[in-house]
Amino acid sequence: MFRNMFKSQLPQDRSPDIPDLKPLECSVLYKRRAESREHLTEEIGDYDDLSEFSDQTFEVANYQYVCPTPDVVNQTLERKTSIVKVKAEWSNQRLNGAMSFDKMICSRCSEGFEPHEKIVNSNGELWHQQCFVCAQCFRPFKDGVFYEFENRKYCEHDFHVLFAPCCGKCGEFVIGRVIKAMNANWHPECFRCEMCTSELADSGFIRNAGRALCHECNAKVKAVGLGKYVCHKCHGIIDDQPLKFRGEVYHPYHFNCTACGVELDSNAREVRSRPGFAANDMNELYCLRCHDKMGIPICGACRRPIEERVVTALGKHWHVEHFVCAKCEKPFFGHRHYEKKGLAYCETHYHQLFGNLCFVCNQVIAGDVFTALNKAWCVHHFACSICDQKMNQKTKFYECDLKPVCKKCYEKLPTELRRRLRRQHEATPKKYPPPTVA
Amino acid sequence: MNQTPVSCLPNSSKMSKAKRVLEEAKEIQNPEIDLIDRNISTFEELPGLFSMLNITRLTLSHNKIKCKYLNNSTSSYYCCISNNFSAVPPGLANLTNLEILNLANNHLEELPLSLSSMPKLRILNLSFNRLYGLPRGFGAFPILEVLDLTYNNLNEKNLPGNFFMIETLRALYMGDNDFEYIPADIKNLKNLQILVLRENDLIELPKEIGELTRLRELHIQGNRLTILPPEFGNLDMAGHKSVFKLEGNEWVTPIADQLKLGISHLLDYLKSETYRISYTRYQTNKPPIPPPCIDKAKKISRIR
Ligand SMILES: [Zn+2]
Ligand SMILES: [Zn+2]
Ligand SMILES: [Zn+2]
Ligand SMILES: [Zn+2]
Ligand SMILES: [Zn+2]
Ligand SMILES: [Zn+2]
Ligand SMILES: [Zn+2]
Ligand SMILES: [Zn+2]
Repeated sequence: MFRNMFKSQLPQDRSPDIPDLKPLECSVLYKRRAESREHLTEEIGDYDDLSEFSDQTFEVANYQYVCPTPDVVNQTLERKTSIVKVKAEWSNQRLNGAMSFDKMICSRCSEGFEPHEKIVNSNGELWHQQCFVCAQCFRPFKDGVFYEFENRKYCEHDFHVLFAPCCGKCGEFVIGRVIKAMNANWHPECFRCEMCTSELADSGFIRNAGRALCHECNAKVKAVGLGKYVCHKCHGIIDDQPLKFRGEVYHPYHFNCTACGVELDSNAREVRSRPGFAANDMNELYCLRCHDKMGIPICGACRRPIEERVVTALGKHWHVEHFVCAKCEKPFFGHRHYEKKGLAYCETHYHQLFGNLCFVCNQVIAGDVFTALNKAWCVHHFACSICDQKMNQKTKFYECDLKPVCKKCYEKLPTELRRRLRRQHEATPKKYPPPTVA
Repeated sequence: MNQTPVSCLPNSSKMSKAKRVLEEAKEIQNPEIDLIDRNISTFEELPGLFSMLNITRLTLSHNKIKCKYLNNSTSSYYCCISNNFSAVPPGLANLTNLEILNLANNHLEELPLSLSSMPKLRILNLSFNRLYGLPRGFGAFPILEVLDLTYNNLNEKNLPGNFFMIETLRALYMGDNDFEYIPADIKNLKNLQILVLRENDLIELPKEIGELTRLRELHIQGNRLTILPPEFGNLDMAGHKSVFKLEGNEWVTPIADQLKLGISHLLDYLKSETYRISYTRYQTNKPPIPPPCIDKAKKISRIR
C-alpha cells in the first residue's frame, strides 16, 4: 500500500539570496535526463531545453534507504528533494528567447504561466505556486514538505491522517523508516526483543512462539528447551558439560588454566582468590591438576573444594553445610555433634539412637541409667552434688536447683537457705519422683 | 564466728586422719580422693597431695579452707605462719589430671589465678563459700563444663572480664549471689544447658540469653524481675525436657497472667507483636524496680 510513498521536501523560496551556482554536471537529474534523452516526450524535451540553460537553479538530491536485514521487511524509502527557483526576470529572458515557453503548462490546471510568475518544478512537472497544494486541504505545503501517494500530494498532517501506519507498540504514526514485521508496523526504536529489549531493526530477529527475539535470546530459549546452557561468550549452545565461572556458564574451551595455561575442560575449578569477599569477580580458573596442587581441602561429602569455612571432623574436611547429622541430615552449623563409629549425629538423634548422656561424665550411658531432676546419670556418677558420695535408687535425697543433695549435706546447708528451699517446695506442689533406674 | 587462731603447724590428730586417707589412696592408686568434713583449713594439712599427679577427683566439701594468700610465688607461698590465713595454693594446678574439684562449703574468699589453667578440669564446685570475687583471667578454663558458684557473694561488678568466655560450660550455677544485672557477654556460653540465677537481686536480664539455644534449664525465681526480653521467646523452654522457673518475681500483669496459663503460653506471648510493642513501651517507661526480696545480711557467706 505504501510502496509508492515518497517524502519530498521543497524548501521555501529564498530568491534574494541564491546560493552560488554549481556547474551543470553536478545535477543528478540533468545527468539522468541526459542519459535517457531519446525517451523523453516532446513536452519534457522542451522543458529539458530550458533546463539546459537554467540547470544551475536545480538542486536534486536523491537518497535511498535500504535496510537489508533478511528478517525485517523494510520499507524501501526514497526521499527526493527538489528545489525550483526560477527567477522571474531571468526566466522571462530565457523563456522569451526559447520557442517552448508557451507550451509549458501547470500540471494541475493545465493553464500556461505568466512571464514573471514563479514556477514550481517537482520531478519534472511544473506548477503554478497556487496550484502546488495539498490534494486534501488545498493549502500550500508547510515548509515545502509534502508526501506523495498514488500521484497525489498531501501535506504532512493529512498524509498522516489518511495513510501513515501506526506503530504496533506506541500507537503513534510511523514517519520515515517503517519496520514491517510480525504482522504490524513499528518505529525502528519500538521494535525490540521481547526478552532483552534490544533493538532489532538492524540486527534482525527470529520469530519464536509468537515473539520476536534477538538471535542471542532465541538461542537461550532454544537451549533451555533442550535442557542445555548457552555460552556467555559465544552464545552457542553448550552440548557437553558447561564451565561455571564468575556466575556465568561457558564452553570450557574458551579459557586456559591460570597457572599452566592449558585449555580447560569442565573439570576446571573456580578458585576464590580473595577469600571472604562476596563478589566473585576476582575468581580464577585452574585445571584440576594445578588446583589439586594448591592444597585446597576437599569436602568429604561432595568431593568438591572448600573455599570458605572448613569443618574438620571425623578425620575429614567438610563444607559447613555438608557436615550433617547421619540420621536427619541437617547441617550442624557449628552446633555440637556427637560421633559414633565414624558417623556424626545431632544431639537429638544421638540420644535417640544411643541413649542419655551422664550429667557428670557427659558420656553416653551404656548400662543402667539414673533419671531424676530432669537429668540422667551413669551408675558410677549418681552422687550427691555437694559431697560427691555415691547414691543409689534407695538413697533419700533432697533437691537444690535440680541437683541431688544427700541428707547429710542438706543438713549442713545454711539454716536460712533451708528455710527458703522448704518454702519454695511448698509453693511448688510438684514432687520430684525418686530416681528411676532404667 | 569462730576466730580462734589456727596455727600453720596443724594439730597432729587432724593431720594424721587426712594423711591416712592420702597414704591409702597412694597405696591403692585411687585416683579419687574424698576428704569431706575433716576440719581441714589449709593444704599444709595434706602433705604430698600436690605430688599425686594421677588423681582425677578431689572432694574437699565441708571443711574450713580459706584462700587469702599474700604471696603468689611458689614455695614461699606457705609463709603464713602466725596468722590464721590458709589458702587454696597455686600448687593445686600441679594436679594436671584433675577432672573434678569440689570445694563446696568451705571458707574461700579468694581463689588463685592458676586454677583456670588446669587442663582437664571439667567440674568445679565452689558452692557455699565466701567468694567476693573471682581472680583475673578466671574464664580461661580450657574445658570446664560445670561451674557451681551457688551461695557466694558474687555480682556483675566483681566478676573478671573474661568470665563469660568459658565456651565449654554446659551448666552454670549462680543461685544465691548478688547479681543485679547479667552482662550481655553471656551469649558466648553457646553450650550452656543449665543456668541458675535463683535468688539474686536481678532487676533485668539481657536479651542475649535468648541466643543460648541449647538452654533447657533456667532458674530465675526469687529476683526483682518485672519484664523479660522478647528474645526469650526463642528459647525451647516448653519442651518436656525443659525447666523454666520464674516464680517469686514482680512480673508485669500480662506476663503474670500468661504464666498462670503455662510456660508455653508465656513463650508464645513473648514472641507476639503485642508483647514487642509493650516491651518497647516498658523500655522508655520502666516498671518500678521492686525492692530486694531476701535479707542478704543473714547469709553465712557474708561472714568475714
Ligand atoms: Zn512506535
Ligand atoms: Zn534479546
Ligand atoms: Zn562458547
Ligand atoms: Zn593448570
Ligand atoms: Zn561439600
Ligand atoms: Zn539429627
Ligand atoms: Zn557418668
Ligand atoms: Zn552429700
